Amino acid sequence: MSRSFGDGALKRFALRDVTVDLFPGQLALLMGPSGSGKSTLLAVLSGLLPPDSGQVFAEDQGRTVDVWAMTDPEREQFRLRHTGFIFQGYNLFPALTALQQLEIVLKWGAGLDNAEARSRAEDMLKRLGLDQQKSKKPAQLSGGEKQRVAIGRALVKDPTFIFADEPTSALDWENGKVVLELLRAAAHSRQASIFVVSHDDRMKEYADVIYHLNEGRLEVEHNPAAPAPIHLPVEGFS
Amino acid sequence: MLPLSVSERGLGGEVCPNADGERSEYWRPAAGETSPPNPLHNPFAERTDYFPEDRRRVSYALQTLWHEKTRYAAGVGAVAFSAVLMVLQVGLLLGLFETTSIPVDHTSADIWVGSQDVRSVDLGVPIGVNLHMARLTGKSGLVGQPELYLANYANLTRPNGGMERCFILGSGLDPDAAGAADVLTPELKSALTMPDSIVIDESDLNRTGLTGLGDRIKINGVEVTLVGTVRGMKSLAAPWVMCSLTTARKILATYLQPDQTTYLLVRAESPQRAKEIVNELNAEYPEMQAHTADDFSFSCRWYWLTRTKAGIAIGYAALLGLLVGAVITAQTLYSATMASAREFATLLALGIPRKKIYGLVMEQSFWVGAAGIVVAWPVVYLLSLGAAAGGAKVVLRWEVLAGAAVLTILTALGSGLFALRSVRSIQPMSLLR
Repeated sequence: MSRSFGDGALKRFALRDVTVDLFPGQLALLMGPSGSGKSTLLAVLSGLLPPDSGQVFAEDQGRTVDVWAMTDPEREQFRLRHTGFIFQGYNLFPALTALQQLEIVLKWGAGLDNAEARSRAEDMLKRLGLDQQKSKKPAQLSGGEKQRVAIGRALVKDPTFIFADEPTSALDWENGKVVLELLRAAAHSRQASIFVVSHDDRMKEYADVIYHLNEGRLEVEHNPAAPAPIHLPVEGFS
Repeated sequence: MLPLSVSERGLGGEVCPNADGERSEYWRPAAGETSPPNPLHNPFAERTDYFPEDRRRVSYALQTLWHEKTRYAAGVGAVAFSAVLMVLQVGLLLGLFETTSIPVDHTSADIWVGSQDVRSVDLGVPIGVNLHMARLTGKSGLVGQPELYLANYANLTRPNGGMERCFILGSGLDPDAAGAADVLTPELKSALTMPDSIVIDESDLNRTGLTGLGDRIKINGVEVTLVGTVRGMKSLAAPWVMCSLTTARKILATYLQPDQTTYLLVRAESPQRAKEIVNELNAEYPEMQAHTADDFSFSCRWYWLTRTKAGIAIGYAALLGLLVGAVITAQTLYSATMASAREFATLLALGIPRKKIYGLVMEQSFWVGAAGIVVAWPVVYLLSLGAAAGGAKVVLRWEVLAGAAVLTILTALGSGLFALRSVRSIQPMSLLR
């Protein structure tokens, strides 16, 4: 895939003939300096930003599809079925409780009825150790709890791909570790592909595969020391 | 509470909102403390949970509206303002034009028979007594005999000179006379039986130049004496002058022949029967016009409302109110939606259809309209009481209230449509920096 921004003399390549493979059950970490195109690669892979050239293939309902050959509504449906996102900010609705932040995705996206959406959202919050916080609104939650709610919102529809953009940047390292452990647990126990963008070296020990992006080019580094699937102190995804 | 120290990570550290939703610097437990499950607990962030678990069926739109009351207050206020403006203007106008049907509203007749196509009580032209009386008395279901009602404009000469138009209302004065105004006490009716005596509303004293009982003035050259005043017969253009049939015939001598009257009034067994008789009379005798009292009353008001084009003026003013309400509501909804742009963008990234967010904004706009109506009603009633205390009647008909409610909701929904622009501009890509 390639992707550039600007025209003429101002044209700058964020991605130059980049190839990435994401596998089920794997946590892939994308590292690189600021402005190296990390977020661009995440956006292209996740169906949010079209590449200038190249394709993004994925398994969808038993067949291989090109995400960027789809129409906009088809791609929206694809994202609904397969992708979860965790962004830098928590982006939680101030008026809604933790439980409702998850329910809204299930009701509006998957079209579940109230009872089923509630049951699945409660189950997810319980797994994330947020059982006691389910009726609280964002203003009543700590930063770590808010990010866990955001993770719950990304995981609750059971996506195939989870894209996380600097998911720990607003957290201290203690809370950041909890987030990474949760993501790893999701990758291993749910056979999801996790793609994390970060510039924090401390994350490397949690990744199965590490990509380095520099001036639009990608290098791969496998992590033989990646820890075994972690079972969380707060009931994880075991 | 745990001892707290400032994080060494400074700006790169955690931020958490305080009670006002503003972001403050990150604090964390001092070194040596075990990591608590909630290390960032902010004691000031406690809030009352307005919609606890057992009430969660409240829609997301309504919940957001309630949570951000202050943000939406401007929109609700604007909608309420336009609703109040609309209802009060129409109510004042209706109150004003109620004076045009006062003679009809203050008599106990069920049926009014007058000249062809008469649309307002002050527009009747003379009709023959015998012919019309015969037509009426042939009908079954009438109570008592038809009565004469002599009515027309006359010129009143003020004691200090100067002329004033007045409107003569000459009726029977028997205790059960259908045409006698209900504000006339038995004493006043008795006093009016004296030749050339009149009664007017006390609010018309100044206008007619009369100062008190026993004062004498000339109407159409006939010298009359004021024998009493009443309340509730306020006039708009020409003072109502109540008198006996004899006095009225004398004053209106050049206008009415001895065998003529302006109207014939009669009571009916029931309102239903009155309607039937009126329909029969109008079908049988197209050269005259019969009305039920209710219809005639409405007809008077409607005639003057349309004739004076006052409705158009009110329409413009109400439109202006609606416009102000719409603009402020649209702006409120727009900025509220933009404030949640990141949350909406996250939902869009997750594949939630944009139309769901459109639906949320439209539902919010509906609730802003509904809340505006709820706020507006008590204000309308208080202001109408205030207006009544100041002497201006505000008529709050259910048709006007319902119409204003519908227009207000439509305005709010229109503002919601305008605010959808903001939803269209939201892109999930904006969340990736």
